[in-house]
Amino acid sequence: MGALEAYGHVTARRGTAVVSRYGFLGNRRPRSDRVHVVIMGCGRVGAGLALALERLGHDVAVIDQSLQAFRRLGADFHGQQVRGSGFDRQVLIEAGIEQAGAFAAVSNGDNSNIISARVARETFGVAHVVARIYDPKRAAVYERLGIPTVATVPWTTDRFLRMLLPGGVEAAWRDPSGTVAVLQLPLHEGWAGRTVGDLEEHTGVRIAFIVRFGTGVLPNHNTVVQADDQVYAAAVSGTVTDVTTMAAIAPQTTN
Amino acid sequence: MRVTIAGAGAVGRSIAAELLEFGHQVMLIERDPDQLDPHEVEGAEWVLADACELASLEEAGLESSDVVIAATGDDKVNLVVSLLAKTEFAVRRVVARVNNPRNEWLFTEAWGVDVAVSTPRMLAAMVEEAVSVGDLVRLMTLRQGQANLVEVTLPADTPLAGQPVRQLQLPANAALVTILRGGQVIVPQGDDALEGGDELLFVAAAEVEPDVRAALDRHRT
Repeated sequence: MGALEAYGHVTARRGTAVVSRYGFLGNRRPRSDRVHVVIMGCGRVGAGLALALERLGHDVAVIDQSLQAFRRLGADFHGQQVRGSGFDRQVLIEAGIEQAGAFAAVSNGDNSNIISARVARETFGVAHVVARIYDPKRAAVYERLGIPTVATVPWTTDRFLRMLLPGGVEAAWRDPSGTVAVLQLPLHEGWAGRTVGDLEEHTGVRIAFIVRFGTGVLPNHNTVVQADDQVYAAAVSGTVTDVTTMAAIAPQTTN
Repeated sequence: MRVTIAGAGAVGRSIAAELLEFGHQVMLIERDPDQLDPHEVEGAEWVLADACELASLEEAGLESSDVVIAATGDDKVNLVVSLLAKTEFAVRRVVARVNNPRNEWLFTEAWGVDVAVSTPRMLAAMVEEAVSVGDLVRLMTLRQGQANLVEVTLPADTPLAGQPVRQLQLPANAALVTILRGGQVIVPQGDDALEGGDELLFVAAAEVEPDVRAALDRHRT
């Protein structure tokens, strides 16, 4: 097994292999706060997550089908590395799923992620389970089934749009499926004196709330926008750029 | 009946062909353009799409299917297709193919699967039935595990030879359904005598299988 010698400590059994196991060294987080986290998928996100969680003082076990993938963890990673399929019961048990407080499914396959996330939650009762899903519509289905998802595509698309085009706005909040966002909408001064209803019709958003003189206000159609209002709008992802463009130009005179 | 089959490999296509022969309407969903072969399964509607993508299933009108068969060679796909068919399209009956026996445990109603078909397991059962004499062999599971079709072939020198069926003392929730003897299918009556070489077919709840076995062993000296 030449390729595995580089690891030095490998004992590989076909199908499910515990590649290495170290106890965590020099941990400053109190035992009671420490969570055992199981991560499925040792790609860039999985490895990044694993290292970050370990730095925060938690116990981490990473599952991946490919031995090569574990290299991303580097020599400083002291958590467990388990080779195998992320929804195979034996593999999950080996990765300590029975003691896990959290499970992240971040492999590059939507199906693997969703199956393993559900197994973690429903078969093993893990409290916090999140799956990464590329297909935004499937993400909505799984959200309804109670699996929190991170839908990569809408998030990334929007982020690109904001960075590619000048005058972009940062979203204050985005829902987990990535399809809607709440953002602060910079308004052209011409909007002062116009109603929220007008603004909504013009831009296609819902005004979620206004912060006026440091206090939050829940508006209705007839609420009049005042100068210096910080207006927060709820918008559908992908329209954020259009919306901010429209809000930044003077409203047309009333027809 | 309208049947949708996800996966048009050898298995999907052969299922499609048979269903078409029975006069059903068949739609085949296949992701790989190289596998598309409308001439081979004529009469079926072919859809080039990923059966796991909700948008594709919506476009294909899955809600009007009576049965969905997840017949791909990938267990993950079969699970997800089953789930979507049940929860998003309320398909009445979902049948899923299990490729790897290690994943069999997943194929339940929790994933929208009404019937799971595990080829390796069926093959094993068939082989066992062919070779084991004297042992109770489970051929098939019925109604999602509520009962099993079990079989035993009596050895030629069985001590049960000459015993009437009524003396078998089967437990409750078990029934001797048929005796197969030399090409004959016998519906057993209480007075019928058993013979060496008889193949006995029982339908029994899983938990009473040991009692069925015990009933058969009881007459051994």
